[in-house]
Amino acid sequence: MRDIDHQDRGGLLGPLKNLSFFARQPITEPLGPRPAAANYRGFHLNDWDLCIGCSTCQKVCDNAAITMVKVPGLPEDPVKGIRNLRPAIDYGRCCWCALCVDLCPTGSIALSCEYVHTCLDSELDSYFILPDARGIHGTPYPKGWAKSTDADLVALDRQPMTEQAPAERIGNFSEIVAGYDAHQALIEASRCVQCGMCHDACPTHMHAPEYIRAIWKGDLEGAVREIYRTNPFAHTCGRVCTHRCETACSVGHRGAPIAIRWLKRYAMDAVDHARVKQIAAEGRADFISGKRVAIVGAGPAGLTAAFDLVRQGHDVTVLEAQAQGGGMVRYGIPDYRMPADRLDRDLDVIISLGVKIRYNTRVGVDLTMERLRAEYDAVVLGVGLWMGRSTRVPGADQAGVKRAVDLLRAVAAGEAIEVPQSAVIIGGGNVAMDSARTLARLQQQRYGEVRITLTALEDLDHFLADADEIREAREEGVQILEARGPQEILMREGQVAGLRTWGVRSIFDGAGRFAPSYEPADEQIHAGDMVVEAIGQAADVALLGEALTEVLQWHRGRLQVDGQGRTNLEWLWAAGDMVRGPDVVSAVADGHRVADSIHAYLSVQEHAP
Amino acid sequence: MRPENYEAQRQPPSYDYELNIGPNHPGIEGNYAFKLRLNGDRVIAGRADAGYLHRGFEKLMEGRLWIQNLAITPRICVPDPVPMEVSYCLAVEDLCGLVVPERAQWLRVMQLELSRIAAHLFIFGGHAATTGMYTPMFWGIADRDLILDLFEEMTGGRVYHIYNIPGGVRRDLPDGFGERVANTLDYLESRLPDYDNLLFTNQVFVHRAQGCGPISQQQALEWGVTGPNLRATGLKFDVRRDDPYLVYDQLEFEIPTEEPGDAWARALVRRREIKESIRIIRQVVARLPTLAGPIRCPIPNPLAWNVPAGSTYTRVESSKGELAWYVVSDGGERPYRTHVRGPSQMHAVQVLEQLAIGCRIEDVAQIMFSLDACPPEVDR
Amino acid sequence: MTNDLTTWLDNLLAELDGISVRRTSRRRLRVEVASDALPALLELLRGRASFVHLSAISCVDWIDAGQFELVYHCWSYETQSLVSVHTRIPREPGVYISVYDIYTPAAFFERDIHEMFGVWFEGSPDLSKFILTEWDGPPPMRKDFDSEAWVNQHFDWQDYHPDWLKDLEARGGGIAVPPDEQRFSRRTVDET
Repeated sequence: MRDIDHQDRGGLLGPLKNLSFFARQPITEPLGPRPAAANYRGFHLNDWDLCIGCSTCQKVCDNAAITMVKVPGLPEDPVKGIRNLRPAIDYGRCCWCALCVDLCPTGSIALSCEYVHTCLDSELDSYFILPDARGIHGTPYPKGWAKSTDADLVALDRQPMTEQAPAERIGNFSEIVAGYDAHQALIEASRCVQCGMCHDACPTHMHAPEYIRAIWKGDLEGAVREIYRTNPFAHTCGRVCTHRCETACSVGHRGAPIAIRWLKRYAMDAVDHARVKQIAAEGRADFISGKRVAIVGAGPAGLTAAFDLVRQGHDVTVLEAQAQGGGMVRYGIPDYRMPADRLDRDLDVIISLGVKIRYNTRVGVDLTMERLRAEYDAVVLGVGLWMGRSTRVPGADQAGVKRAVDLLRAVAAGEAIEVPQSAVIIGGGNVAMDSARTLARLQQQRYGEVRITLTALEDLDHFLADADEIREAREEGVQILEARGPQEILMREGQVAGLRTWGVRSIFDGAGRFAPSYEPADEQIHAGDMVVEAIGQAADVALLGEALTEVLQWHRGRLQVDGQGRTNLEWLWAAGDMVRGPDVVSAVADGHRVADSIHAYLSVQEHAP
Repeated sequence: MRPENYEAQRQPPSYDYELNIGPNHPGIEGNYAFKLRLNGDRVIAGRADAGYLHRGFEKLMEGRLWIQNLAITPRICVPDPVPMEVSYCLAVEDLCGLVVPERAQWLRVMQLELSRIAAHLFIFGGHAATTGMYTPMFWGIADRDLILDLFEEMTGGRVYHIYNIPGGVRRDLPDGFGERVANTLDYLESRLPDYDNLLFTNQVFVHRAQGCGPISQQQALEWGVTGPNLRATGLKFDVRRDDPYLVYDQLEFEIPTEEPGDAWARALVRRREIKESIRIIRQVVARLPTLAGPIRCPIPNPLAWNVPAGSTYTRVESSKGELAWYVVSDGGERPYRTHVRGPSQMHAVQVLEQLAIGCRIEDVAQIMFSLDACPPEVDR
Repeated sequence: MTNDLTTWLDNLLAELDGISVRRTSRRRLRVEVASDALPALLELLRGRASFVHLSAISCVDWIDAGQFELVYHCWSYETQSLVSVHTRIPREPGVYISVYDIYTPAAFFERDIHEMFGVWFEGSPDLSKFILTEWDGPPPMRKDFDSEAWVNQHFDWQDYHPDWLKDLEARGGGIAVPPDEQRFSRRTVDET
């Protein structure tokens, strides 16, 4: 019964049995350092090539042991999401929990297999180190605790977005994405590590970490408030933004970046429109400055400037040539990506702050720039890129050859257009995809089938269009041909019958200039009743008038402006696509810049004697 | 209390005197003071004085994210840190409704039982040392180191493992680990007779330990004694068996008990528990290969994790007795309140003060060590 | 057998007035009771229902509600179940009755709660200082005591000037984000 050999009274001999230990070999351990176990949590190692300086390690450090240190000479690129910061560790505070490793988005941090660091009081500074790949003492100890899938705390997978299936969506113009529901939005928002790379990368520096956090907390009005700090085109950018934030997102290094754009869309859709208007009006100046500003063009750039200036108490009038506002967002982006009613909401918020828009008013025709200069204290040009470029191949001037911008504008304006039974699109950018997919929908509605061919100079890897656009266009039945150079519009009986192309050898010459060379032997004929040229757009600057064009400075066909968007004339600014190239969020950023510059100018005027 | 702040209590003239044992004294476990009032070498009264290890962990935890608190929990009890980790994780899991994968539960059991052996070896040697025998202490600490080696491999840390995470554990076992565990267990098992020879057949230890600091079962229940100290009074109670957590209801093990309730009985219970823990770990080693699958269920990003509002009380059996966390969430990213109930809060204060009365001065240290009182658990 | 006892306990508690009982699992029962009825309930639990082991008393400071919540965790070795009895008392003056006469271990927990929260337990054998012997500030576990602010007022951060940092500073770099600005381990961070 007794499992232990114990005695109730005890004896003297029992313990003596252990004298046999004197006859045993002693155990010796070598004095030299030994590396610890493979998972040991020793001192920090940091792969500086992988580290992007996002400071997530610092956020999760429970002991405030991590300081972000600026290291000059390291790459720094906000657009790519790279900072020249690196974590420094205070071993007076570190507790070796390795949460910094497990939450590191890139996996650059690890802990070494090294056990000991100690020093005299006079060398206390050695407890504060800037770890690199060599370890605390510069001696080669192997990596111990490092990123593993088991312990990885970064949520790498994105919440899937519900979309209309291709067969379903090709028959209509309603929005393809369904948007997140509250649960999806919460989960997606919870993935964010709050590094702020998105903020740095965004042209208008949106407070994405803040509004994502607010969404996660369920404070949707707070999210809208954060969004309106920098972007009055909130609905628009929640849908069609080029989302550089997501390219820079630190979670994107090993997983899918946070769906920042869809989260913005969710917050905007979830808050009552009347409430959005109230939030946008918060902080608006309660005085009238008495200054008047004219803005030409009611697109994102012009209206953003108008939004800012009105909030600062200035009197703003926007002159718009079209019947409705929104510029290229309305007339260039099809409804299945950017529903017009959402754009209307953005405009409604801006107008509700007191921006006056005069529609159907074409500057240069209905009134001149000179008159604007005389009547207003400052003038902004934000006219967008409305002139489609032509390939100028033989036959390009035929009636059956359309420019993409004209086509898209006509569809958006609800004008009747002749839907071709088959069409050829020239161009590999987003506008080309928009044209192809718009025509595809019209064809499906009219004829029940899609016959679209899209040809572009570039090979697929170098298409300018977003990968999603290309994929979706293909799903919708658009035939995409890469590396084809247009040679001639083919005609039959006075009607456009198709396009003749040659294969592309190269697009640029040795000096990097645009000079495509073709392979004439590789000739193809693409049948189509309509050919759409979508190879680029330019601003129509005829509205300036000859005299003004003469005194303004130009750079490669574009109006030259300074860092604040001001031209060489003190009263004239320019903003948006016409100075930046096409991009909604850059236009918004431009609008802010210009508004700041104008406000400063007007304020100085005020104080001048 | 700092020495400069100490004022001897004014007493009527007598031959009584005061003696402080600790806060730094080999007869005291950790930084802890026991103030005795003596007449000759007979203790008239004892008074526990804690606070030398107070780090304010409960308060700290209110300011940290749910996951960040993992780094704090093991530090509450240095010799037996694992039950702290596990019971905190059990609390968070209970509040969140997380289901821990089975493999992770078995891994936790392995870690818990290794920790129990390590803690028992530690206190076992300490107990012997208080009777003047230092060899078991050296052996206990050396053999414990072999378990720390296993911990290092398994968890990445020797003493503070931070191996558990709400939802599971952070690492799977390295290759060949089961074999190395088995080897270490075989070795430890082969060492047990050596310990027995030194202690339980040793006249010195027998005479010193038997009858020292006896607790009756009645008193034990009255005073809130738990764990091996309770079992040493003959009550067959173990949280692992009677309020089971993890997979303890699937494991076979005995609950050793002894009747006398004195230091001797407490040492014997611990000695038997080492054997039972070895038995449990062997079952885990045999079982693990049959359990494929994840070691952690998905959990949210630690920087954005709200735990649903509520409160829970999770108990486990640590090497020292009943250990429990009362965790309250107000639905936020941080615990609203955490309260740790360590077994030593009873053993090192009220029970020790009671047992000291009437004993001789040289037995005070033995009583404290035989109760396995762990001051950091009292201080938190 | 155990199940019978459990049912018996549920029925017994259900007969009492003014308490709310919720079984959270087979071995866990949550009871909420008015503060004046608590001693009688504990008496009943210990005397008639075999809950002889007071596992712990927890205190929670619900500062917004102006209340302290006291939770008595009682275990029965016979029914193998744990009853957590919750009660609330006003935060001011923070006075309650000791249950030392029912449960001896209450002495430790009451002393601890008195020290950390400032709750006075009438009839508790010893509410003298224990852990915070030399502390004369407010009871630190109260929510309105900011321990980190206190630490920052009384202690300095270690000031490091290692060579690598001097070198970076000479080249225009150096400390960009000190730890205090970013970390999440502090309640005030995201309230800003």
